[in-house]
Amino acid sequence: MGVPARRKTRHGGLVAWAFALPALLVYFAFLVYPALSSLWFSFTDWDGLSAGYNVVGLGNYADMAADPVVRQAAVNNLIWAVVTVVVPVVAGLALAVVLNGTVRGKPFLRLIFYTPAVLPLVSVASIWGWLYNPQYGAINAALRAVGLDSLAQPWLGQDSTALGATMVAAIWLRVGFPMLLYLAALQSISPDLYEAATVDGAGKWQQFWHITMPGLRPAHYVVIALSVIDSFKVFDLIYAMTYGGPGTATQVMGTWMYFNVFQYNQAGYGTAIAVVITVVAIAVSIPYVRSQTKEHAV
Amino acid sequence: MNDNELSRRRFLSLGGAAALAAGLAACTGTGSSDTGSTGGPGTGAKTLRLFTYEDNSTVDLLKAQVKAFDQKNGTTTTVDSLPGSGAAVYPDKLRTELLGGKGPDVWRIWGGQIGAPFVKAKQSMDLSAYYTKFGWDSKLSPAAIEGMTFGGVKGGVPFIGAGIGGWYSKAAFSKAGISAPPKTYGELEEVNAKLVAAGITPASLGGKYGWDIMRLFEYLLEVSAGPDLHDKLLTGAESWDRPEVVTAFTNFKKWQDQKWLPEGAVGLDPADVENWYVQGKAAYTMTGAWTEAQGIQAGGKKSDDFGVFQLPTDQTPARHSGFVEGYMVNAKSGNPDMAAALIDFLVQVDTIKALKITNAVVTGAEPDQATLPLSYEWAQGPGKQPFYTIQDQALPKKQADQYFAVQSDVLQGKTSPADAAKKMQDVIKAWDKD
Repeated sequence: MGVPARRKTRHGGLVAWAFALPALLVYFAFLVYPALSSLWFSFTDWDGLSAGYNVVGLGNYADMAADPVVRQAAVNNLIWAVVTVVVPVVAGLALAVVLNGTVRGKPFLRLIFYTPAVLPLVSVASIWGWLYNPQYGAINAALRAVGLDSLAQPWLGQDSTALGATMVAAIWLRVGFPMLLYLAALQSISPDLYEAATVDGAGKWQQFWHITMPGLRPAHYVVIALSVIDSFKVFDLIYAMTYGGPGTATQVMGTWMYFNVFQYNQAGYGTAIAVVITVVAIAVSIPYVRSQTKEHAV
Repeated sequence: MNDNELSRRRFLSLGGAAALAAGLAACTGTGSSDTGSTGGPGTGAKTLRLFTYEDNSTVDLLKAQVKAFDQKNGTTTTVDSLPGSGAAVYPDKLRTELLGGKGPDVWRIWGGQIGAPFVKAKQSMDLSAYYTKFGWDSKLSPAAIEGMTFGGVKGGVPFIGAGIGGWYSKAAFSKAGISAPPKTYGELEEVNAKLVAAGITPASLGGKYGWDIMRLFEYLLEVSAGPDLHDKLLTGAESWDRPEVVTAFTNFKKWQDQKWLPEGAVGLDPADVENWYVQGKAAYTMTGAWTEAQGIQAGGKKSDDFGVFQLPTDQTPARHSGFVEGYMVNAKSGNPDMAAALIDFLVQVDTIKALKITNAVVTGAEPDQATLPLSYEWAQGPGKQPFYTIQDQALPKKQADQYFAVQSDVLQGKTSPADAAKKMQDVIKAWDKD
């Protein structure tokens, strides 16, 4: 009994590998090899331009520990991850629940809330850059119009508000994605459950906690995991809105890696930062990958 | 081990590898000497590629001139431009192209510490032999050539030497009761005070990327330190922890506190702010002669309604900040002779005039007085004065960013002028140590 099964596995395995080979070649050539190259360069002092370099071992990693901007960037990343995951997910869920109900103009509202998600990030950065302009921007103009002059700020021009201001743009941009996934997930919850709960005297709030939330559990995994991974990749919005400034106030690991590799001619050090970002991203994505694997296995 | 576990483990390992690869692949490169193979640039004896950062208003002029060169020499030259990218982005693109082995044969670049890494890494060619061949030493300004010489290597050919001056709206000055541009630093402060009193923002400067705001600080440093000390500070020959630097930072803060700068200037994009003096939102800006064609005239305004003055330093010689731009040749170009010939063509007087360059360093290529009267006025007056290198070219990018971070902290009141001077000394000392 065992012999034919083994033969089948081997035969099937070879065919599978043959079919996978072209994709694997591309994968290794364009992802694995460059990644391993970068890992190697993180142990060197390569300037990113010259033909030669020296091996410095773990020197770049030791330098990271002493780099105050790395510490600041890591804290900024953490704040960014918490705020730009929690707020869009909660807001997206709320919008999905509301728009799944009997609101008038639902298609239009869905379009409105999802539109920012399809805009190019550079455009989003420009739009919010204009809105935040201290003298001519709409935000300060609105505050002044209602007598709140004291709240008008140079939003992107001071350390105390710059990171928060960019996070507002990120929230505006990202709220549509969880909303869309939750809306899709809500369609899969049987209306019969709500009808039965209503008959049994359950209120809206009870229905939400005992029917809607459990029904959205698979969606929660996807939404939260993808949002967390996305938040660790933050780069373009910060780069385009503040260029990491004022000073280094809005530097995150991604931008600091970029500055070192491409602007400071410290490619070795920059790739060491990239390695750390990647390790952290993998660590936080493991629960998501595990959940997806379980699903596929089932 | 059951199938599910195996599947999960495989999936995890592949997923991990994918994430690792995706994260790292973005910043990989190659340190081998194979970079920039000769298969890229100029593979054919008659094929060239020129990379520049001309904007839409000038790139067609350049293409027309390059076409004329091609017709004369039987070459085919491609012009690629990354318009509006500035020194913050363009060198990155260039670096990536060079490392990818498809670098251009000729590229435009700023002098000082922006161009230096390409020479240091031997990505650009030593052009000394072509200087002799084409006689560039006698055709081009010696100061500009110095700006394209790195560690004794003539790594580039300058064609622009831009000086930074005060470009102002006559209407704004008139509204504030100002009859003439300032001649001393004290008068400039008086001008600022009058403009604020008239409800006009004096200087339209934005600090994103450091550009503009750093122009102001380096000017204030020239005022308080004077030419000799200023130059020594930039090379680390003198300590920054001194009264002259503290004075410069104190004045710098004063410009913001007195509202002589736009609100939140540190976070404003210079591209948005610089033309406010043309649009009637501010009185003047600190910029180069390109603003006449690209700001005033492109904005549909007449040059007669604006003026230009040298920012008064009360020092001798009266210097202004300036910078050099030029061309470099790829060390791995397949056709360096033709690449050099292209550069020689581009620095001819007739070509410079056809390109409407207002601040060329080529003898005999002064701006046309009829079409660009303010640029001509600048070239004939302040433009002839010596200049100090703008500080994002005088310092490597990393130190320039740290310098700007210190300036940003001063403007936000997070660092006192005295502490800022100490911090700058630390920055320069660390650079020296590196």
